Amino acid sequence: MPWAKEEDFLELKKKFKDLQIEVKPTITNLHIPKHELIELLKELKQMGYKLFIDHSVVDFPERSPRFQAFYILYNVDERKRVVVKTWTDGTLPSIEKLWFAGKWAERECYDMFGIQYEGHENLVRAFMWETYQYHPLRKDFPLEGYANEYLPSLNEVLWGDNLQGLMNYDRMHTPVPTLEDLEITEKRRLKKKAQLVLNWGPLHPGTHGTMWFLFDLEGERVVQCDVILGQLHRGVEKLAENEMYNQFLVYTDRMDYISALCSNQAWVVAVERLLGIEDLVPEKAKYIRTMMSELQRINSHLLWLGTYALDIGALTIFLYAFKEREKLMDIIEGITGARLTISYPRVGGVRMDLPEGALEVIKAFVRRFPRELKDWETILSRNRIWLRRNVGVGIIQKEDVYFYGLTGAVARGSGVPYDIRKFEPYDAYPWVEFDVPVGENGDVYDRYLVRLEEMRQSLRIVEQCVSKLEKMPKSAPFFAESPDPKKLKLPLDGIGLKVPEGEIYSSGENPRGELGFYIYSTGGVKPYRVKIRPGSMYNLCIYPKLMKDRVIADAVAVLASLDPVVGEIDR
Amino acid sequence: MIKKVFEKPLSWLERILFIDFIKGLSVTIRHAFSKTITTHYPYEKLTPPKRFRGFFGHKVVDGREPQPAFEEWVERFKIEVEPGKSRCVVCLLCKRACPVPQLFEIEGEKLPNGRRRVSVFNMNMLLCTFCGFCVDACPVDCLFQSDIHETASYSRKDSVLTLEVLERIGRDWQRRREKEPDRIWIDDAQRMRLWYENDLKLPEVKKQ
Amino acid sequence: MESLFVQLLVIGIKILVILGVVLGLGAYLTLVERKVAAHIQRRPGPMVVGWHGLLQPLADGLKLITKEDIFPRAGNRFLYNLALVLALVPAVLVFAVVPFGPEFEVFGVKVKPILTDVNVGLLLVFALGSMAVYAIALAGWASNSKYALIGSMRKAGIIVSYEVVITFAVMGPIILAGTLSTYEIVQQQINQKLWYIWLQPIAFVIYMFAMLAEAGRVPFDIQEAEAELVTGFNVEYGGIKFGLFPLVEWYVEVLSLSAIAVVLFLGGWSPINIPFLGFVDPLFFLGPLSPFVWFVLKVALLFLFVLWLHWTLPRYRIDQITETAWKVMLPLTFVNLVLTAVLAPIVWR
Repeated sequence: MPWAKEEDFLELKKKFKDLQIEVKPTITNLHIPKHELIELLKELKQMGYKLFIDHSVVDFPERSPRFQAFYILYNVDERKRVVVKTWTDGTLPSIEKLWFAGKWAERECYDMFGIQYEGHENLVRAFMWETYQYHPLRKDFPLEGYANEYLPSLNEVLWGDNLQGLMNYDRMHTPVPTLEDLEITEKRRLKKKAQLVLNWGPLHPGTHGTMWFLFDLEGERVVQCDVILGQLHRGVEKLAENEMYNQFLVYTDRMDYISALCSNQAWVVAVERLLGIEDLVPEKAKYIRTMMSELQRINSHLLWLGTYALDIGALTIFLYAFKEREKLMDIIEGITGARLTISYPRVGGVRMDLPEGALEVIKAFVRRFPRELKDWETILSRNRIWLRRNVGVGIIQKEDVYFYGLTGAVARGSGVPYDIRKFEPYDAYPWVEFDVPVGENGDVYDRYLVRLEEMRQSLRIVEQCVSKLEKMPKSAPFFAESPDPKKLKLPLDGIGLKVPEGEIYSSGENPRGELGFYIYSTGGVKPYRVKIRPGSMYNLCIYPKLMKDRVIADAVAVLASLDPVVGEIDR
Repeated sequence: MIKKVFEKPLSWLERILFIDFIKGLSVTIRHAFSKTITTHYPYEKLTPPKRFRGFFGHKVVDGREPQPAFEEWVERFKIEVEPGKSRCVVCLLCKRACPVPQLFEIEGEKLPNGRRRVSVFNMNMLLCTFCGFCVDACPVDCLFQSDIHETASYSRKDSVLTLEVLERIGRDWQRRREKEPDRIWIDDAQRMRLWYENDLKLPEVKKQ
Repeated sequence: MESLFVQLLVIGIKILVILGVVLGLGAYLTLVERKVAAHIQRRPGPMVVGWHGLLQPLADGLKLITKEDIFPRAGNRFLYNLALVLALVPAVLVFAVVPFGPEFEVFGVKVKPILTDVNVGLLLVFALGSMAVYAIALAGWASNSKYALIGSMRKAGIIVSYEVVITFAVMGPIILAGTLSTYEIVQQQINQKLWYIWLQPIAFVIYMFAMLAEAGRVPFDIQEAEAELVTGFNVEYGGIKFGLFPLVEWYVEVLSLSAIAVVLFLGGWSPINIPFLGFVDPLFFLGPLSPFVWFVLKVALLFLFVLWLHWTLPRYRIDQITETAWKVMLPLTFVNLVLTAVLAPIVWR
């Protein structure tokens, strides 16, 4: 089990008198008062809990102090996780010297909750624009927002149509940013140091989504670089407090829209762990979920390869990758019914059984795919232009992986074998064999090789799952039976699924990194607070450091190798 | 198990004779002389599989309802059953299961003989996420998802499905595709355009 | 008097033929490129307009001509339009010194199928190529946009470096032929029964790379790298002005420079060559048209090879391009020059 035990912290109890250790089956908490927080975090970092996972805040408006802050840390060598909690009324000391990723997490908490951080270098909003007045995730901010801006429709202004009341139309609207707001946001970010400031984004075919980069250029060399996020912010965490556990599955599709099945699986596994019903889920459902997830991983890496090669200039690989992707989409459409926003796993199993012919098609795909991979490697991997563009560019050291909270293929390319499928296995991963590819230098070329090798290992997993599924009888169940329907209702459509009080942090290995869900539940059918730990966001926070003193042409290569998806960063 | 990946640099002979370029060029020329894989939409179209999650429909009463569930629900809510009209029993379970409940507008009316019947059933497709929770929740197999996916329209009103439209989609579906087996896809010939190089052998379509 | 009138008539016909063929062919080459690229990528390319897309260039031209011509508010209108003229005219003028075939006689008048047979033909070619720098630098400056400026500065740097490289690379064939006139070089290759490519492989490879760099094709098209600069220096141009820049750069320049390559290395209009022994002509049944067909065939093959490279290789970074030019290619041309000086007497006999 990945949670730390009480024995590990006996030394700490001697040093910190007010430390309280709380060990539950789903989580391990260390409660500490605010004035000793930084000391405790430094001690934990010395002990080996070096990898920064997440930091955020839960709002209890009827208690005082009001906010409960939590920090999640991970020990890679001993494979243990711990959560540090403290109570505060509105200020917290900043941990930006301990972990740089904390700087971005703190900016998000300031934006969403209004918490002031002492010692933070540049406390600006993370997602909303600078002149926005509210803090949306507080419990007293209503779900619909404050509609106090007068925004008539063009039909009314130009032609005098009266549309008030028709089709849910209302002239009063929630605040909308204007051009002046965006300019103020831009000015508060970067202090200009060099010749010219180039705006890369927010609408650009080269950034992977709507991200806004500001480059301070001296000729072709980048002196400093900053990122403005929030163009795709949809308020998913606020919506989660209003949806039932099964209904929230729809939102997990739309965050990381390229690997939707993996995000679905991570959420479903998190809720199942919180309920404690992991053993009730039938074997067939676990194998199906694993197989679909690995197919989705190949899908996502194909998109990454296509756009990466396109950005560097090899224009045909894009279309070859999409040919294979089209086949995968055909498979996924035949099994689940949709191609992009899938919502196929359910809390307790999957929605429907496999149709006939599905396993033959998957076997045919698996047979041919290694040959295609070999073709593309012939075009790319040992091409001298490719090597010159990628080797030695964007090197990430091993210590940076812990300092910046990097996970996924980015961490594995730098030599840290961090893979949630091996460290904290879920679904059918304990029963399949596969290798974890690890790189040496940490440059862009190593990450490229790591992802290509991951595709081959995913094929291995799919082969093993298919052979297991062929042997299972046709009538094997695909959804869990509740042992006691009075105490625990497990319906297929999710109405009435009650979760007992508790909290959990559980993560899944997305193709982009580690997607984690911290769920705080106070009983009932809707969660109290859901914090989503996006892998892409913490992978992106190393980008300004990597771009210092490099040419603009490298900006594309480095960004594509980090593989961000804006839906997950902005949620 | 950890597997190390590393770079294999080019040798001098490869550099002088441009062998890396020549290998890449040979792959491309081989692809240039293979068959193309595109489906010429809209002259050729793919048929979505039976499970496809497109627009919604109401199945009509024709004697194939799931018994005994249908009888129980009809008795519980005292529904007037009319052959050829929707099976809906106004239980509102679809609205409860939906992540965006505002898109449903469901009302029932009381008839002079004491039974009830559904009178208004509007679904606003502009708010729908096409997840299918409502289909899973319906206890009498009335609400279902068809294969209609070409749904562009000129005004917002055209995206609201009313009861007549839903019944029409249902009747069309039951006539066209209800007897189809639950297979991964049904148009093998069309799909072979993309899958021909994979050497795919699917079991035959069983006639029912 | 009469001969002057006849000469003017002949020159007039040649000008019309060259202009018509070059510009019309340029438009249809867009279709050829799209079809070749599409089949490499396993898709059919344009199929809807006309049979298998044959009317597509007309549709594209019509669309571009009827588009709105948006001009940036603070740009320099005169330079903006001048850049386009400066790009188009020199590229077409190179065809003035390209020989299409041997001298022939019609109605008693000797006609050489080359517009002007000056005896410094090659010098003219490279002088016109250098004018391309003006066009690009002016286009980037007059657009008043940071992206356009960066793109044009990059391209100007590349063209300047590769002009030097290309000038040294062609010195090999010049030494072997002993003349700068394009018509004479082809004649010398026919007399010496030798295509110069057999003796100058290094120069040929370097010339090919330099041609790709001048014309802005992969692997040297960093200034049009869509991922960073969104079509580079012509980002602020609209309508037909936007369509003319790639036409000139990618198609007309590649055509003209590959025609010069055929003249210098592949023996112009001569049929297949066995070195030092003679020529073999499988197309003998075409009679007097055979040399013209051979010339067109060789230029087409080179063009298709350029397309094949474009759709396979990734692209270099800007500092790597100029580094390669000055540190690798230029020394290689010197080596080639020395080797040629040693081997030349074999050819001169």
